[in-house]
Parts: sequence; structure tokens; C-alpha cells
Amino acid sequence: MSIALQGLRVIDISGTIATSYCAKLWADYGAEVINLEPAEGFQTRILPPFILGTDEADKSAMHAYLSTNKLSLNKQALGQESLASLLKSADLVLDDNTDAELASLCPNVRASISWYGNTGEYSNFIGSDAQCFALNGMLRGIGHVEGPPLIPTGYQAQIVGGLTSFIGSMVHVLAGELGNRHDRVEIDTSIFEACLCFTDVGAVSSYNTNIQVPRLGINRFPPTYPLGVFPCRDGWIGVTVLTPSQWQTFCQLLDIVEYADVELFQTAIGRLQSIDILEPVIRKKLLEHSAEELFYRAQENAVPLARVPTMEELFGIDQFLQRHAFAPAILPGDIPLLVPTVPFRLYRTPPSFAGPVASVGEHTESFQHG
Amino acid sequence: MGNVKERTAPLEGIRIIDLSMGWAGPLTTRHMADMGADVIKVESCERFDWWRSWEATPEWIENDGAEKSVAFNTVNRNKRDITLDLEHPEGRQILLQLVGSANAVVENFSGGVLPKLNLGYEVFREVKNDIILLSMPAFGSTGPWKNFRAYGSTVEQASGLPHLNGEAADPPTMHHVAYGDANGGLNGAAALLVALRHQKRTGEGQLVDISQVESMFPLAAHGILEFAATGEAPARRGNASQTMAPHGTYPCEGDDAWIVIQVMNEDQWVSLQQLVGNSLEPFGALADRIENRDQLDQLISDWTRNQEPQQLMFLLQKNGIPAAATHTSASLLADVHLKSRGYWQWLDRAVVGKQPNPSLAYRQGTEPFVITSPAPTLGQHNEEVLADIIGMDEADLVRLRSIGIIGNRPRMRSV
Repeated sequence: MSIALQGLRVIDISGTIATSYCAKLWADYGAEVINLEPAEGFQTRILPPFILGTDEADKSAMHAYLSTNKLSLNKQALGQESLASLLKSADLVLDDNTDAELASLCPNVRASISWYGNTGEYSNFIGSDAQCFALNGMLRGIGHVEGPPLIPTGYQAQIVGGLTSFIGSMVHVLAGELGNRHDRVEIDTSIFEACLCFTDVGAVSSYNTNIQVPRLGINRFPPTYPLGVFPCRDGWIGVTVLTPSQWQTFCQLLDIVEYADVELFQTAIGRLQSIDILEPVIRKKLLEHSAEELFYRAQENAVPLARVPTMEELFGIDQFLQRHAFAPAILPGDIPLLVPTVPFRLYRTPPSFAGPVASVGEHTESFQHG
Repeated sequence: MGNVKERTAPLEGIRIIDLSMGWAGPLTTRHMADMGADVIKVESCERFDWWRSWEATPEWIENDGAEKSVAFNTVNRNKRDITLDLEHPEGRQILLQLVGSANAVVENFSGGVLPKLNLGYEVFREVKNDIILLSMPAFGSTGPWKNFRAYGSTVEQASGLPHLNGEAADPPTMHHVAYGDANGGLNGAAALLVALRHQKRTGEGQLVDISQVESMFPLAAHGILEFAATGEAPARRGNASQTMAPHGTYPCEGDDAWIVIQVMNEDQWVSLQQLVGNSLEPFGALADRIENRDQLDQLISDWTRNQEPQQLMFLLQKNGIPAAATHTSASLLADVHLKSRGYWQWLDRAVVGKQPNPSLAYRQGTEPFVITSPAPTLGQHNEEVLADIIGMDEADLVRLRSIGIIGNRPRMRSV
């Protein structure tokens, strides 16, 4: 069976989370992806979370997730000539702007990913995921009214940056094959600007309305109510009610039909303005139900409620099991670790569902011998 | 590097029929349109993109409400827009003719909609053997939940991500009113490009599906992997970090003004001590700072409270300390960095006038890719598209208008 990105060579020379996630998508769909690592390995190899009971060198679950089906070459073990020859054979080189000279050897597409891009007032800032969400305006809306705003956890901005760079680099590799690109190109992705996709609509809206939406509290986002994560009898339910018909059905589900046809409550804004009346009623009623039962009943009636699964529950949900949403990364020593698989499916050319994770420089010798 | 407009567009020659609505699907196709693909957005006068409004009234129609939606206008630039009543056999037939000229179709309806219209991958394939259909249902197009509905908020909720955010005493905490939408849109663009590459190389089309919920798993990877690696779910710790202190959001001068400060190593800590002064002297190495986090945060807050956040951000960064002021939606448009990079591109749009448009987050050289046209009005390109691609003449168009298959004004739904 043909694999969609077969025949393409991608080299990651930096090994940040963003470059690694970008490269992972190439590897998942069949490109040959080479991690060109320093002798001590990419920085992702020392990132938490850590796997219990594994060797120190292979303990990072994050690295395992990001690195399935990639080759690893030890950069120091390759001579200058081999290194140059390798870079010149690449369709795409990924980097974080720290070794532009090496990256520039690629004759096709160079895609750099940096926190703020390589020009502008912040281009020399030390970046972080939290900063991207502070500056994109999202962080300001999370948390209690009195503050402080809450920082999203993990590596979310870098993942979004890596995904965005995949789009930018894929476009330009494809352009070459379509005959729309004849020269070498350098594409630079700003992780901060990638994260503006979540908030640009709000910024343009503020320009038009002069309305600055205040932080309304945990799980409360205008202009919609009810929206949020609410406790049920046995877990958490995610609620989003937008249209008049969804509101009427939601009232029937909770047996609060006296609110269903009230004119003010037919709009999201009207319900948000009436939150002091509606919130106690909705909370009380939700606690009488099981999250699972409410979820299915709502979906059967076209109201988009959701169970809010814990990390443990995620691995047992039939929907995700049937779609192979998690599959084992195989670490050195044949140790399996369940990791999320690529979220999009091409049915004629399916992706790899996880796969082996190379130790540092594992493929150096075989590469040197051709 | 010069203006990117003069180069051949990377996706020139690619045509996409865009049936998607809302945020996720249109963001996918916006990426394609920004890179030069001919994206033809298909709405109908009764079933127009719900991001124009999900609460349409006769007054809203009368007041050109359909053309005033910031949300719609922000994600649909660089596209052409036609209206077609797909419930009418002739409207459906015209759609199939358009599909016959295209590389791909994109849709993000809930599961049952396309089959009700007697449309779907196999139908599209009959008119174009190598067609790609990108479907973007919330939970994917297979599995027991394939027909379940969701908005961007539902997608975040169903991914479990809220369990990783916020304070332990609070409910699992969401990030955004529709976090899943934009993320789903990015994944859709990635998927479509991979399929286009396969189509170009082999002449084969295919069905492509993204699960918007599964698209959130990479963002929740740190929590998912912690459970997979240790059997323990991560605790919600608010702004506290296990590896950094100080680490948090601190108050600044102004109304609801804050700054994020994260001290990632000992050099940064020494720099911060020098800036803040004597009050931080009692604190030692990281373990000590984590143990006395509350007291430390209070002292940092005392220091930041009367400082202007932007100036403080530059001062801290100049001294090697990671920091960022928090923007509001409004202040984002005035951000000095984005201004210096020409990030907001201003275009005149019918009905609403001059509007800011966000650039792509990747660029070739120093300049952003140029946005060539603002979001289209409803049915703006009916004549152009139906004449050029289907070969219709004025008489055909008059007839289609007269029986309501095409049009330029929204109508209240008849059912």
C-alpha cells in the first residue's frame, strides 16, 4: 500500500517540541524523518512526564510520543562531508533558528519555528507556552473574576506551532511537486502568531464593538450560557447550549420546562444576562443525573453535551478505542507506552499508529554504511 | 525579501469546494485560499453559514446582518462564495458539476446531513474519480459517536483537557469559548495537504476524516502521557509549577492588568533578585522557593503591582527573565511586535468597511503573505463561478434566481 508522504526526507536539526511535533506528522504519514541529534540527545529526551522503570536515557514519555517512526543519527559521529551530503538530500529541514548555517544547506524547503518569529520587537525574547497565551489574550479570560488568570498547562503553544509549521512546510513541499515552486524557500513560523488563531476573531470583534469582555469566572465565556463543565451525580458533563431549539430541548432533559419558552432565554445573551436565575436551577438539576445518561440523551436529541473524561477514562472510551486514538510507542527494550495517534485519517493511505522510538544515534552506523 | 504577492502562489491550480460552516472547516479552507487555492464556498439563502448568525430574524436580514459577522468575515477571506439550494435537484446537480472540476470537497456537517442530500464520498467520486472528501465531524466519521454533535467548546470538554487546567478546588477548567474549533481547522488543513500530495503523485483521491476531539489530544498530551507512563493522573495546581518558582500571573498597574513571570533557572533567579531587591534575599534554591511559594508570590506581586505591564515585560526580558504582559482582545490589535511585523492587514469589506485581518503565522522572508480579498458577501460570485465553470448564460442565471436556487440575500427557513 502506498503511503501519502512516501519518498520525502525530512531532517529535524533542533529537536524542540515544536519541530518534533511538526516532524512527527511527516513521519506518521510515511516520510523518512531523521532526528539529527547531538551526542547527548535532543532536549525532548529530558522532558517530563517520565516513564516509571525505564532507563534514564529513554525515560521521557513526551519524547517517545513525539519520536515514533523516526531515525536517529548522532550529529557528532558524522563527518562534515557526510553531514553536508545528508542535508543536501533533504526535501525539508526543520530548525529553531539556532543553527541557520546548517539549516541553509538544504536545497529545497527550510522551515524554522521560533517563539516570536525572526523579526519584530519580541524576536529576542525568551519564549514560553504561557507567554504565548498571555500575549494572545486567551489567558486573561481563564480563572476567577478576581484573578489571577490561570496559565494553561503543558506544551500546548508549541504543539500548535508545530502543527502550523507542518501546514506551512507541507504547502511549500507540495508547491514544488505542483510546479509552483522552482527555488529553495525559507519558511518561518512564529509560535505566538500560531496561537493567535484562537483569539483573532475576538480581537477583530473588539475593534468593531469597542466592547472588552471581562473575565467572568471559571468556565464562563461570553456570549453563551449555559456553557461549561458542571458536576453531575457521578462525574462531569460539558454543556453548550446555543440555539433556541437546543435551549428548549435542554430544559426538557432537565425537567425545567417552565424556562423553555421564556422569550428572554431564547438567546445566548439573554440567558447570560439571567445567569443568577438560571445557574442555581441548572446546577441543582444536573446533580440529579448521571453524566453518561445525560450525555447520550442529549446527543439523541441533537443537543451537544459531552462527558468530560478523566485521563484514565479516556483510555477506556469505546469511541476512541474503535478509532485507535491511542497506540503503543515502542521504546528501546521493547517497552510499550500508549500515546495519542495522529488525529486525522486518510483512508486510502492510513497513517502509522505509533511505532518504534529510536535511542540516540541508533541509526548512525547503518547510515554510514549506506 | 519582497512582497510575496508577486510569486506564483504555492497552491495555484488547486480547487476546493467548501461546504463547511462555522469556524473549524472555514479555517481549514482559509489556509488553502491564503496559499492560492481557488476555494469556492457554497452556502444557500436559507441555510447560510451559521457563523453569520444562529439566531437570524427578519430584522437581522433587513439590516444586512449576514454581512456584519466578524467571525464569518475573519475566516473566509480570499475565497469565492456562491449560493445553491442543495435540497433542490438542480442545485444539487450544479454542486456535482462543480465537484467535477475540483480537487477536494470539505464539509463539517453533523453525520446525517450529507446522506439526507444524497451526497457523500461515493457520489462525489462518481463525478470525479480522484476527488478528496475531507469530513470534519466532532468525533470522527467512524465509531459509535460518529453522528454526535459538538461545538468547539464541546470538543474541548470531550477531550478531557479541562482536567489538566485550573485550581484543584475548582471544576475541570476550560481554556476558551471554542478552543476545539481553531485547532480542528489547523488539523483539517494538515490532513487536506497530505491528501493533495497523494493525489498529485498517484492520481488517487480518498476519504479523509478528522476527529476534532482527537485533535485536542496532542494539546492534552502532557496529561495523557503522565497517566500512561505512571498510572497517576496529574493534579490541577493552578499556576504553581513543580519545576519553576516564581511561576505565575502577577498583578500590574491598570484595570485587570497582569504579567506572566516564569523563572526557569538559577541565572534568571539571580537576575530577578537584583531587579526586585532586598525582599527576595531570604529565598534560596528552587526547592526552598517552591516550599515557600505563597510568600514568594506575594512579594513578587507587591513589586509588580504598581508597574505598567508592557514596560515591565521589556525590563524583565532585557534582564533575561521570561515574562509577558497579558493582552485583552482589544489591546492585541495594538501589540507593538505584531505592528512591527505587519501582522494585521487592513482590507475594505462591503457593508462593514475597513477591517483588520490576521496574517498567516508562517511567512517567507520578513513580510507576511498578502491577503488579496476580504470575505465574500453571500452569493457574491454566483454569476462568475456558474458562468466560468459550468458555462451558464444570463438566462440560466435569471431562471435560477427566480426559483430561489441562487440569490444574494438570506431568507428565513421555510420549515
